[in-house]
Amino acid sequence: MKIVVCIKQVPATAAEKRYTSDLRLDRSASENVINPLDEYAVEQALRLQESGAVENVSYLSMGPAQAGEALRRAMAMGGDDAFLVTDDALAGADEWATARVLAAALDKLAPDVSLMGMASDDARGSLVPGAVAAIRGLPLLSYASELRLEGNTARIRRLNASGFDIIEAPLPVVASVTDQVGEPRYASLKGIMAARRKTLETWSLADLGLSAAGVQGGALTRVVEARAPEAKPPTERIENVGADEAVTKIADWLAARKLI
Amino acid sequence: MGSDVFFLAEFSDGAPARSALELAAGAARIAGESGGAAVALAYGPGAAKGAAGLGAHGAKRAIVLGDDPAPAITYSGSAAAAVKAGEPLVVLAPATPNGRDLAAALVGLLGLPAFGPARAISVAGGRIRSEQGTLQGTVITLSEPADGAPSPAVVLVLANTFAPTEPGGGQAEVSQAEAAQTPFGAAMIVESHAEQAAAVNLEEATMIVAGGRGVGSEDGFAILRDLAAALGGAVGASRAAADAGWVPYQLQIGQTGKVVKPALYLGVGISGAIQHRVGMQSAENVVAINKDPDAPIGEFADLFVVADLFAIVPKLTEEIRRRKGN
Repeated sequence: MKIVVCIKQVPATAAEKRYTSDLRLDRSASENVINPLDEYAVEQALRLQESGAVENVSYLSMGPAQAGEALRRAMAMGGDDAFLVTDDALAGADEWATARVLAAALDKLAPDVSLMGMASDDARGSLVPGAVAAIRGLPLLSYASELRLEGNTARIRRLNASGFDIIEAPLPVVASVTDQVGEPRYASLKGIMAARRKTLETWSLADLGLSAAGVQGGALTRVVEARAPEAKPPTERIENVGADEAVTKIADWLAARKLI
Repeated sequence: MGSDVFFLAEFSDGAPARSALELAAGAARIAGESGGAAVALAYGPGAAKGAAGLGAHGAKRAIVLGDDPAPAITYSGSAAAAVKAGEPLVVLAPATPNGRDLAAALVGLLGLPAFGPARAISVAGGRIRSEQGTLQGTVITLSEPADGAPSPAVVLVLANTFAPTEPGGGQAEVSQAEAAQTPFGAAMIVESHAEQAAAVNLEEATMIVAGGRGVGSEDGFAILRDLAAALGGAVGASRAAADAGWVPYQLQIGQTGKVVKPALYLGVGISGAIQHRVGMQSAENVVAINKDPDAPIGEFADLFVVADLFAIVPKLTEEIRRRKGN
């Protein structure tokens, strides 16, 4: 049994972000990390490996050469090897292009479970898992708060409106997990040392049998404007007053905005 | 490229979700700009019977994808067939887990440009234009399909981006989508557990009282529920409160919970970490009550009350009831 965890390198949450003149995120301008929600997918995969349900855990990323750092960090948490798809034609890739490329790489790696985080920190479309499943012609088990593998079946727990569902599909599947699968482990010093000896293979589009034209130059979409959010008026503060006065002021504030 | 505006209309327990009514209104508005018609892709329990009723909310036609309580993505094959046959300008999908799954499947199956989660949508030069906050809302981007991109565009839409219109008298013209098998049908719900009575769907509430670590306990949430009831709204929570087991995860607001856009968000005992903020930063009015004068939420709230929540919340409930006259 084999899992491939897909990982995206993203700017750190607190880092300053800039757009380049062609309205792409300037990824060289900020500190980059493993997308925090992908770490939960790593954790879920490693737990399945430790339980003996899975023999092999690999990592896959698409991005610039520096995304290899994110793969090394994932290998420091555990797992066996990593694959990076990097190609100049993929700068500014959108959801469809990303899914197309990951799908081709996953076809080549042929895991039983292609595992992803539920969303990326920077874009939050959450479309890549479903689009990869559609392109590869596999069932999707999304937003799992737990993933189990038994025989030829993958089974997840997923929140519904008032409780949860158990959803099953025959392997192979594409799955995505939430932050309820368990807190991601820290890489140990031993893990960091071991990760240096693990294989990190780099693939171009051509290695996947794809061309720049075949992925529409990386995007079916284009950004026509990027701007700072509207400036909000400064925060009004109520402090150092008694509870009754504070309550009257809050109620006045709400009433002035027709909220009560 | 067509001019019709398709939208996903989810049904459960025989009724359309609020997202279906919001998207019906939004689709009708966009169709007014593009010169086409609003068309529902209706799915889920009650869709077959209820689809015609979407006409009262703005849909000219409704295509029923299926009526079973299956994972929403099961309907992607028939949705893709309907989209291919109907050649719309755009497909609107609610930015909910089910809506995202179905939208993702359409993007993958048909190779379509994807946008959102949008907080505004317009038509410019015959193209769909989507406005969204990216990078935790630090940048607002406007996007459109690239030259030569296939049509339609698929746009995820945040809750409360469009307000449902007052129901009119119209009925949508209903047709049945052609059945189409995809591998997605292999995923099946084998058990379904209800843990609590279905609460007001948080994504659809216009008034939200959210509690965090400062609320301190499950019992502490009782006064928040009273305040929410007085406001006519719903209770939400931070991840810390859900992790502590004080409220179910269905009430969690934030990056890994619900993304809400209410008229009023009132945060109580919530510090305002970035992971929570991305779930509520589109709220029109943000009020925070926190005893820590340096809590991060104080930097982006519209009104920040530095006080002990237990001293304020019950009195505020009383005052709101008094002013509302009951």
